[in-house]
Amino acid sequence: MAQRLSPALLAELSVAIALAAVLSVFKLKLPHLIYGGSISLHTLPIAVVALRHGVRAGMLAGVAYGFINFVMTPYFVHPVQLILDYPVAFGVLGAAGLMAQCKSRWLAAVAVMGAGALRLGVHVLSGMVYFGDLAPAGTPVWQYSLLYNCSYMVPETLIASAVIIVLIRRLAH
Amino acid sequence: MPILGDIALGKYVAGTSILHRLDPRTKLLVVVLWMSAALASHGVAPVVAFCLFILATASLSRLPAGLLLRNLRSFLWLLLMTASLHALMTPGHLLWHVPWLDLDVTHEGLQAAAIFTLRLGAVVTAASLLTLTTSPLELTDGIERLLRPFRRIGVPAHELAMMISIALRFIPVLAEEAERLQKAQMARGAEFGGHPVARARKLVPLLVPLFLSAFARADRLAIAMEARGYRGGEGRTQYRQLAYRRADALATFVCVCGCGAMWWISATGVGLQP
Repeated sequence: MAQRLSPALLAELSVAIALAAVLSVFKLKLPHLIYGGSISLHTLPIAVVALRHGVRAGMLAGVAYGFINFVMTPYFVHPVQLILDYPVAFGVLGAAGLMAQCKSRWLAAVAVMGAGALRLGVHVLSGMVYFGDLAPAGTPVWQYSLLYNCSYMVPETLIASAVIIVLIRRLAH
Repeated sequence: MPILGDIALGKYVAGTSILHRLDPRTKLLVVVLWMSAALASHGVAPVVAFCLFILATASLSRLPAGLLLRNLRSFLWLLLMTASLHALMTPGHLLWHVPWLDLDVTHEGLQAAAIFTLRLGAVVTAASLLTLTTSPLELTDGIERLLRPFRRIGVPAHELAMMISIALRFIPVLAEEAERLQKAQMARGAEFGGHPVARARKLVPLLVPLFLSAFARADRLAIAMEARGYRGGEGRTQYRQLAYRRADALATFVCVCGCGAMWWISATGVGLQP
């Protein structure tokens, strides 16, 4: 049986999820992102709660935000794609919580990059699953999925890492 | 920038159709089952059967056809890409050669393009019917109830549903807060335009008060929850009660029969294989 969340932690995670949804409005939609995806700062609140409370709290917040993200921008073409692109992709952001005990803001940036890399991996896998199912045999699906997802995930993760360095310093004050 | 106006919380269209009244658990399970069956089946007959079923279901939803077509428009590129790849990359009887691409359009390619594009369009419409006829809160309740058996292996179903419900309630509040902070910063001469990195940098003065305000709200919410005796999911009752009715049983039965028929048609090879 999983340990019950305290009301304080439950409230903080819930508000962080709402904040992530609000930050998803400040986005840059590149013209080539025709199958979804954009550059925004919505992963920041999930990373912040993961860094404050650890992997489990971060994963829970990520999974719940994945559901909200699906409600806001539903892109549903395959059941496996739905699970990978929403709860799993945002849930793995909780991995940033591995650095929860570290006080260094540079390590926090590394944690955000690591979590972003995991999310990229999940999106690439999702692209391979659903595009692999749609495209004819012999299409270089994984290369296409990797290039497509890198085109927005790499800048998004770099910007989030840079912002978290400043954000953690200011929040600590 | 009107932040609140930019947040579309789902595409739910309120209504009283039979589809709207179905239990969210039924709709979730039926959509996943149908989509899995459709994606696993190949050939003309099962795909045509699936498309007809989706059309019949869409008519039961009493949603305007234009709305469903508008939803399909978001997937236009994916549909075009799927059709083009199949039309140009499937070997078979040559119809014509595309010299500038050095690719052949074949009879089998066109047939596969039609099948895969129709199948994808129907799958997307099935998913749209779920989100158009089920409110976010109903979906949350449905997911919580479906995840409940997994609590034994540590899946915090109640906590997840609770977080989603609270977050849905707080999104407009925090969006208003962000808008107020943004206007305050702009009144002091801040500009939120420019290239992406500059925009991200300019957002930091907005992010810090937004995070602090959000965490302060979370503290007040936690105190309110504790004061009202919140003790987690055990023994907790709900205002909205989900009920599995006869219509849900009928929908599940029709879906299982339909999936079985599609599987049988695919397995026995009725219909043309692409």
